Amino acid sequence: MTESTLFAAAFILYILAAGFYLATTFSKIKRRAPLGFWLGLAGLALHTLALVLRTSESGHAPFTNMYESLSFLAWSVALACAITVRRFGLPRIGGYLMLIVIALVALASSPLMPKEAAPLVPALQSIWLWLHVSVTILGEAFFAVAFVASLVYLAARDDAKRAQMDDLAYRCVAVGFPLFTLGGLVFGMVWAAKAWGTYWSWDPKEVWSLITWFVFALYLHTRIVMGWKGKRSAVIAVIGFLAALFTYFGVNYLLNGLHSYA
Amino acid sequence: MKRTLAFFSSLRLAILLLILLTAASVLGTLIPQGRSFEEYTARFGGFTSLVLHLQLNRLYHSTWFLVLLGLFALNIVVCTLTRLGPKVRRARSPRIEVEPKSLAALKIRDCVKLKIPAAGAKSELQKILADAGYRTRETTRGGRIHILARKRVFGLFGSDSVHVGLLIIIAGGLVSGLSGFREGLTLVKGQEGPVPRSEFRLRLDDFTTEYYAGGGVKAWKSTLTVLEKTGPVLSKTIEVNHPLSYKGVSFFQASYGWDWDKTSIEIWARKKNDPAYLKKLTVRVGERRDLEDGERTALSVTKFFPDFVLGAGNEPQTRSNEPNNPAALIEGYRGEKFFSGWVFANYPDFSQTHGTADSGLTFELKRFDAEPVSVIELVYDPGAILIWIGCALVMAGLGLAFYWPTWEIRAILEETQGQADLVAAGSATKSRDRFAAEFARLGAALRRNR
Ligand code: HEM
Repeated sequence: MTESTLFAAAFILYILAAGFYLATTFSKIKRRAPLGFWLGLAGLALHTLALVLRTSESGHAPFTNMYESLSFLAWSVALACAITVRRFGLPRIGGYLMLIVIALVALASSPLMPKEAAPLVPALQSIWLWLHVSVTILGEAFFAVAFVASLVYLAARDDAKRAQMDDLAYRCVAVGFPLFTLGGLVFGMVWAAKAWGTYWSWDPKEVWSLITWFVFALYLHTRIVMGWKGKRSAVIAVIGFLAALFTYFGVNYLLNGLHSYA
Repeated sequence: MKRTLAFFSSLRLAILLLILLTAASVLGTLIPQGRSFEEYTARFGGFTSLVLHLQLNRLYHSTWFLVLLGLFALNIVVCTLTRLGPKVRRARSPRIEVEPKSLAALKIRDCVKLKIPAAGAKSELQKILADAGYRTRETTRGGRIHILARKRVFGLFGSDSVHVGLLIIIAGGLVSGLSGFREGLTLVKGQEGPVPRSEFRLRLDDFTTEYYAGGGVKAWKSTLTVLEKTGPVLSKTIEVNHPLSYKGVSFFQASYGWDWDKTSIEIWARKKNDPAYLKKLTVRVGERRDLEDGERTALSVTKFFPDFVLGAGNEPQTRSNEPNNPAALIEGYRGEKFFSGWVFANYPDFSQTHGTADSGLTFELKRFDAEPVSVIELVYDPGAILIWIGCALVMAGLGLAFYWPTWEIRAILEETQGQADLVAAGSATKSRDRFAAEFARLGAALRRNR
């Protein structure tokens, strides 16, 4: 099977998973949620194969253009979804997360995204490409879960559900924040120091990573000291994820700088 | 004094500063940084002087942004220092004796009546706690046995490690900005150049570009030799991502190009009315050659631009250092200057000369050869080491703060009629539900044994 067949099959499985997850959320039948989980996992398995195939064919990390990096982001969100649903047994967020995964896969498949794997320019030939991008995107995937949990919180009416979502969002930030710090900031600085001789250049992509990081630092501190759990926390988590999204997309298309190749 | 201290240690200030730093950072990505005055006037018109006054064109290096960062650092220093003392005390010599009602205030708690004397209950409890990984301390006061059991106490210092790490990173940034240097050194093969503030020099022994089969650049490789006064001491081939370091200075493959000022050009001259005449000349920029056309015409090449464009005032200039539109300015002399004009490698039809009279000659720019140059970035950055130390502390601190939660159980044993009454309560800095489950399990174990 080729990479694109696997990718398409994963896409279909993700759609089915979203369907079964959402069916549990919006109906009284609760039995279907496990089906959503297993279908999502099957999609994840095929998607993993697709990524492995692409890596072995191109000979480099599968995130060197927009198509690859969107596909990897989708994969990471699907993974974070599987982990959180498994661990916290909250199928409700599974449906919404799968919708995000589907949107990302669809965007990656759009004809606007160049798909051919180009050989790497010298700056990208580094082990730090793997470390920097994969860890950052994994962190962002957990921010995505926190984002969904926060939106569900803001939409929810009953207190038990809200408490659940507030807690889930916090736990995801507790995973995403260290990952994002390590991948986005620390590994990014190490790589910049190796490639350009300067760990920080105030390039727009760097600054937006810093902004994202500041927003989640705000999230943590307002919770500890001001006891801003609940609604205001949820709003900050939503802003934080939007900042992460802007770092990911907006900077490439709206601002320009050193990171223009990724 | 006390109020100033309180102000600088407050988390409200931290939150305000975080919001301001975020807003300033956003602003700096909306306003292009470090552009020319003309670009700002084109964009901001009448507001340009305001933008420049507020240093918004170099926002991240502006006085006010640095003041903001300084306040942030001060905030962290004061906040950490005021909290660290009590925290260390709490970790090293905690109060073991507590009032029963303070335990009643905790959410996770339990009480049991055990059918054995207090002393036996105590060792039973201590054994269960120790098996679960808790370190226990105890004290007896007024007939009550107080037990304090904790695990992963070091986790308390996670946030401090993060904050100290941040301070070190800010300090590192300051050191990098104030001392240290970065300079480009452009060398052709065989050339050597000075290294700033150092005794040694750098020589480029070889420079090659490797291409992929499809045409893209695969690697630039510069073989460098470090020359001390006594002679060569070290040689290494560097490429992007693989620098060379010597005595604190690092050498990075930054860029590449050609030494266009010394381009060697092949020019073909023809006579309009004599098809038999063809003169091929190879000339370097600045040189003059005889055309041997029977009219004693001499030709010189005065300029070479790799990427010819006409600038604002129709002034010829080069747009880049890439050979996108190579052009040479040639001049012809018959005694004195007789004609001049630009010849283009890509556009032979545009190659025309103008002079005091028709020279009867046409020229083609056939070839151009310039030596490749390697641009090496020389970097001395004594702040970098602080950045890495700071990053390590931040990451260790994040690990501790989120994944090394301190769990604490307090118990009070009191004996009435040979039977022990146990009141216990616990608290956790993180993962409260896992702690609650463990607390319940320990309670059950105690009940099972007795
Ligand atoms: C971007 C900057 C900052 C980052 C990344 C950061 C990071 C952290 C982290 C990860 C925690 C632990 C959170 C938790 O356990 O849930 C924390 C706690 C804390 N931070 Fe910060 N911090 C920053 C700035 C500040 C500043 C400027 C202050 C100044 C007052 C501050 C004061 C505190 C305090 C008081 C705590 C709680 C300490 C504790 O109970 O252990 N932080 N910080």
